[in-house]
Amino acid sequence: MKKLFIMVILASLLVPGGFMGKGDSRAAEKLRVGVIYPISGPMALLGEESFRGAEISRVMRNNKGGVAGKQIEYVFADIPDVNAAKSETERLLSQGKVKIMTGAYSSSLGLAASEVTCRKNLIYFSVEGIADQFVERGYKTIFATDPRAKLFSAAQVKFMQQWLAPQLNMKANELRVSFIHEDSAYGSSVARNFEKAAKAGNVKLVSVIPYSPKAVDLSSVILNLRKDKPDVVVAVSYAADAVLLGRQSKELGLDIKAFIGNGGGHSLTSFQEALGPTTEGILNVDFTQFEVNYEFCPGLKEFVATYKQMYNKPPLSGHSTCSFVGMNALFDILEKTKGDMDPKVFRPAALAHELPPGKSANGWGVKFNEHGENIWADPFMMQWRDGKLVTVWPKGPAVMEPKLIKPFSK
Amino acid sequence: MIDFIQVAVSGILLGGVYALLSVGLTLIFGVVRIINFAHGELLMIGMYLSYLLFASIGLNPYLSVFLVAPALFAIGVIVQRLVIQPIQEASAMMKVFVTCGLFIVLQNLALMIFRGDYRTIQMDISMAALNFSGISVSLPRLLAFAAAVLIFGGLYLLLKYTFIGKALRAVAESRPMAQLMGIRVQRVNMLAFGLGAALTGIAGAFLLPFTSVYPTIGSIYTLVAFVVVVLGGLGNMVGAFLGGLCIGLIESFSGTYISPALKEATYFVIFILILLVRPQGLFGMGKGTEEVGLK
Repeated sequence: MKKLFIMVILASLLVPGGFMGKGDSRAAEKLRVGVIYPISGPMALLGEESFRGAEISRVMRNNKGGVAGKQIEYVFADIPDVNAAKSETERLLSQGKVKIMTGAYSSSLGLAASEVTCRKNLIYFSVEGIADQFVERGYKTIFATDPRAKLFSAAQVKFMQQWLAPQLNMKANELRVSFIHEDSAYGSSVARNFEKAAKAGNVKLVSVIPYSPKAVDLSSVILNLRKDKPDVVVAVSYAADAVLLGRQSKELGLDIKAFIGNGGGHSLTSFQEALGPTTEGILNVDFTQFEVNYEFCPGLKEFVATYKQMYNKPPLSGHSTCSFVGMNALFDILEKTKGDMDPKVFRPAALAHELPPGKSANGWGVKFNEHGENIWADPFMMQWRDGKLVTVWPKGPAVMEPKLIKPFSK
Repeated sequence: MIDFIQVAVSGILLGGVYALLSVGLTLIFGVVRIINFAHGELLMIGMYLSYLLFASIGLNPYLSVFLVAPALFAIGVIVQRLVIQPIQEASAMMKVFVTCGLFIVLQNLALMIFRGDYRTIQMDISMAALNFSGISVSLPRLLAFAAAVLIFGGLYLLLKYTFIGKALRAVAESRPMAQLMGIRVQRVNMLAFGLGAALTGIAGAFLLPFTSVYPTIGSIYTLVAFVVVVLGGLGNMVGAFLGGLCIGLIESFSGTYISPALKEATYFVIFILILLVRPQGLFGMGKGTEEVGLK
């Protein structure tokens, strides 16, 4: 009897469509989405982290029945560099029979891939890539869910006006601000944004100091700052230079009242590990991280739990949540178009889609303007407190009040 | 005035760092005339070894030097025996290509093993600074400076007064002649490369307390090291040390008084100008010596 039972099972596995007939017909109805991230090469670490967020979104949605009754399938390509981003997008769209593209963690990769996609008049739904250019090229088929780079600068200026200046008993236009940045395309573009934001916010920008992120010594940056005597220093740094700046600020006794980073090196746990208690009080504007008001971020707990279950460790950074929230928005819109990806149907549905802030796993809302820019997504102000990067401003996502702590003093 | 002195102090300390990280190259390239583009990668290996010893068993880099240096010596000897020796008689160009290849292999191996993360260690000394009435002197950099002085001094004495040193210099000047005089050229070369690698390992351990290590760090340091060695004059220990100080001071002053973004451009402009006037470097041994052993 046992033997017979085993044989029946074996036979059913061999005969195509035996007991699993239903699976086949469902496979034919899968909703195919082109997904690109760098999961090898120099950007692999956070590229992979972002892709995990996208993957969790797909798995969770499929468990709930998919989109418009269909299961979602990712047609994935690894894009370690800009050339790969172009050629792989081309390949997915022509041979992979994909009608919509998403990704891509890095702005440079996403810009290249979206150029290819939008020229074919297909939808590029950018879930990660903060460059302002995404929505400045006049394409009607691009949508970007994460906040634009200019919002990082805007948030910093607003924070100075609303919180920092009153704390220091100063008017916002009396604050002396210095901006230091690593001199690659990334740092320079943030610098241009900050200059604009400072001008618009009537904040006194006393100096803008570029430096090479590869330098062995950044004492000249600190000495320049000592000369300019700013109250606040805003910085854009990668990993090693953020640490070096911190160490040399302390060595050379830099005397300022607040230090605000722009994500990047100032968000990394390695920054905290290298500087220890010296990071206490350093402010930082970034994507939503995990020390945040969970009530403002419904679904974040579930996301973290699923992440741990799928990858056996907690999420590495807010990049995964960023892609997760972006993909959820895409699926919500596709639900409304019943899976139709034709720009003629998708664009009106996307423009009509609304999710107020405080209703997604990282607190961002979704509302696109006519350029495809999400105007309800904002980066938040965080602060290093007792070795943790804690959200402190604005009130909604904050778990703690910001505190005035003299930077690099401990 | 205090600012001016501070800039000078920072420049001299940075110069010491540059001298330290080029000390191995001074021997390998300056004396034995093997063009080694994988120099920075040896430094990277030294830094990673010292990092791993710190991260795994908490060994202070200033102590792990005594483990890192012998390890790098072994690596240097192996590289010389397996990679350089077979092409010893080939043109200098060939050695450039081979060591470039070696640099790419080592860098990518490191990327594979350690991934792109930046690793730093936190010690009490990492941010310690001595304060002399407003002038701050970074302690780990001061130690690196002291190490540079000691190593350069030791190397100078070794080359000048010991038999091995004389053999090294003889091989550099004329390989066939040295061989005729009974010097075992291959062994001397292995020793030189091993010693150069070991000194580079020491430099790596001394750099670790105040810098980060990551797989591509070598390419930055290789360039600086070549500039320092060529500027000082090939084969001249005192010259290489002073060359390092020059670059450090130029970088510090131009960074503070012109712009931090232009400090590298400034020292390269000065480097080019000096070489136009004195091709043998600041302290070279006379016109034409820069090509000895390379042609």
